[in-house]
Amino acid sequence: MQRPTPITPLTGTTDPDQPMSRRRFLARGGAAAIGASGTLAGLGCRREEEPEPIKVGILHSQTGTMAISETSLRDMELFAIEEINAAGGVLGRMLDPVVKDTRSRFDDLFPKRARELLVDEKVDVVFGCWTSSSRKAVQPVFEQHGGLLFYPLQYEGNECSPNIVYTGSLPNQQVLPAVDWLRSLSGGAKRRFFLVGSDYVFPWTLDHVIGTHLEATYPDTEIVGRAYRPFGHRDFETVVGEIVASGADVVINAINGDSNLHFYNELARQEVRASDIPVLATSIGEDELRGLLPEVVEGHLAAWNYFQSIETDRNHRFIEAFQKEHGEDRVISDPMESAYAAVYLWKIAAELAGRPDPVSVRAALAKNIQFEAPGGLISIDPRNQHAKKRCRVGRIRSDRQFDIVYEAPRMLTPDPFPQASFPGWRCDWTRGGLTEGAAVDVRP
Amino acid sequence: MSSFYSLPLPTLIIATALISVGFCWFGGIFFRPILRIFVEGRDTGNEIVGYILSCFGVFYGLLLGLIAVASYQNLEEVEDNVAREVAALDALYQDVTTYPAPHGQNLRWLLRDYCRYVFKYAWDDYSKAEIPAGEQTRITAFHERLLAFEPETETQKIVHAETIRQFSDFLESHRVRESSITTGIPVVMWYVVLVGAILNIVLVWLFDMRLITQLFLGGILAFFLGTMILLIGVMDRPFQGAVSVSSKPFEILYWSKMRD
Repeated sequence: MQRPTPITPLTGTTDPDQPMSRRRFLARGGAAAIGASGTLAGLGCRREEEPEPIKVGILHSQTGTMAISETSLRDMELFAIEEINAAGGVLGRMLDPVVKDTRSRFDDLFPKRARELLVDEKVDVVFGCWTSSSRKAVQPVFEQHGGLLFYPLQYEGNECSPNIVYTGSLPNQQVLPAVDWLRSLSGGAKRRFFLVGSDYVFPWTLDHVIGTHLEATYPDTEIVGRAYRPFGHRDFETVVGEIVASGADVVINAINGDSNLHFYNELARQEVRASDIPVLATSIGEDELRGLLPEVVEGHLAAWNYFQSIETDRNHRFIEAFQKEHGEDRVISDPMESAYAAVYLWKIAAELAGRPDPVSVRAALAKNIQFEAPGGLISIDPRNQHAKKRCRVGRIRSDRQFDIVYEAPRMLTPDPFPQASFPGWRCDWTRGGLTEGAAVDVRP
Repeated sequence: MSSFYSLPLPTLIIATALISVGFCWFGGIFFRPILRIFVEGRDTGNEIVGYILSCFGVFYGLLLGLIAVASYQNLEEVEDNVAREVAALDALYQDVTTYPAPHGQNLRWLLRDYCRYVFKYAWDDYSKAEIPAGEQTRITAFHERLLAFEPETETQKIVHAETIRQFSDFLESHRVRESSITTGIPVVMWYVVLVGAILNIVLVWLFDMRLITQLFLGGILAFFLGTMILLIGVMDRPFQGAVSVSSKPFEILYWSKMRD
């Protein structure tokens, strides 16, 4: 006689004598599978949702004639981003750098890559450019797409874009104080200036600004000659010959890129010594000096806001951290320090705004953003989005570092339109924006 | 596919076991009664299925074994390629050290930058089967600067020619490694592997035996097949997943030899 099947209580206990039926097996198997799936989910899927990273663009020439200068800016911007990410990112989100090589092609590749960063990659901010040609080429792209560019170089002024934050210095923070110093007794009381540069907007405008400044301030000085050569130019025999023949007692050098190697080598070849005709460079820093033999450049001058040889604890820590990561023989120049500060200034603004998008960051920039940079405190003037900086003049040593021979006593307020050079022009984004004045042709 | 490689190994092992054994058990319970109709009514049914399974198993086992060995060899080969590229990079770095200042420093700096970029940024992209543009940019930058050097003495000419040759070696190693970033077993081969595994299990369902025995023996076979397929899967993409080529050789070169 078959035993009646016992009623299985709801608690799930079973009669141990009862053989396992297919249905019961399925029920248990299902429960076991659900349990196992739970374990699997626990192992594999219990990852905390990481917030989406903030995309930031880096736009520099890593190949071509400007590579020698611009790759160092890229390194410094990536270094700052790595530091920020190691400290937790911005607004709790990691920074994801998108790096584009513009191959030293200012007119076509710079705007193309800028558009790719803003439209395709949808970056919140771009750190980039070196030459004014490249900045001017990308400016319309940033204005059209509402992007935000942090430009780390010293430049000629005569520009003020709401979509660009200028963390380098203007002529009134770099060249003009240096010219004033050269005119002073400690600077050698120079009177005969020769201007040499690459053939583009930065040296032309610098020429105009220096010319009007000397005319207005020092009537007894004279610009005895000018020479502008294209990017990548190598033959400076004629130019140096002209310098010697002009009787100049100082040269202001606004040559950019590799051409500097050939210019200084030619000076040495024609035995033009720094003690006789010092060359004050506006684009030669410690990083560019790596490409020059010390005996060729020793004693010449450069005007910047930052030198690696600044003796402060903050600067020492900064140099040590960078060299630890990139090698003991790496040097740091003013544009590199400015590029580093640019990333941190953007971080501070984004955190103040609570959002990383360009509109919010720009609004936060109006709140007097400050950063303790390796070269000293740096702040953004909300009126024109330029940095307040201190001018320094350095003399090149045999170890390719600088002795600081002059330091401005205070931070200098940026003035993109010195009235002697650009009468009527003003820029104040807190009060009406750009006021246009008389048309000025800067081309010499 | 990328989500497969993003899972940790323990999760993959458990998932594979659950899927393969689960499939075997599910089919054993639901499909076995239907499939057994084909071999029912004959005393020799189990023997016939046994013959077919052993015959099929030999071919499938061979296929699986060969693919597993090929995947392992491929992984080893890529490791060798990485080691070869690092050795070529090291040799190139030593060559440019002999260049006169400042060219030597500039060239060393560019190679250092390349090396750091590879393990710091590029390796992450490899794990997504992507080739980052930054590598080529850095190689081009070095090539440009190398060719910009104009040797003046006979010694410099010899060293420069040797460096250019060394650079070609490095470039070749780099290209070989780069091409292995996206290598893997062809889709059609995966199709054969997976269909073969399914057929193996289906053949097991045809045996006439107690359900519990069927589930136990079938489960063991399914677990082993799943493990073998997992082994091939994790080794298939040399730069992806838990079993992948490491960037350590680049890191060691950078931190021990390149920072001067």
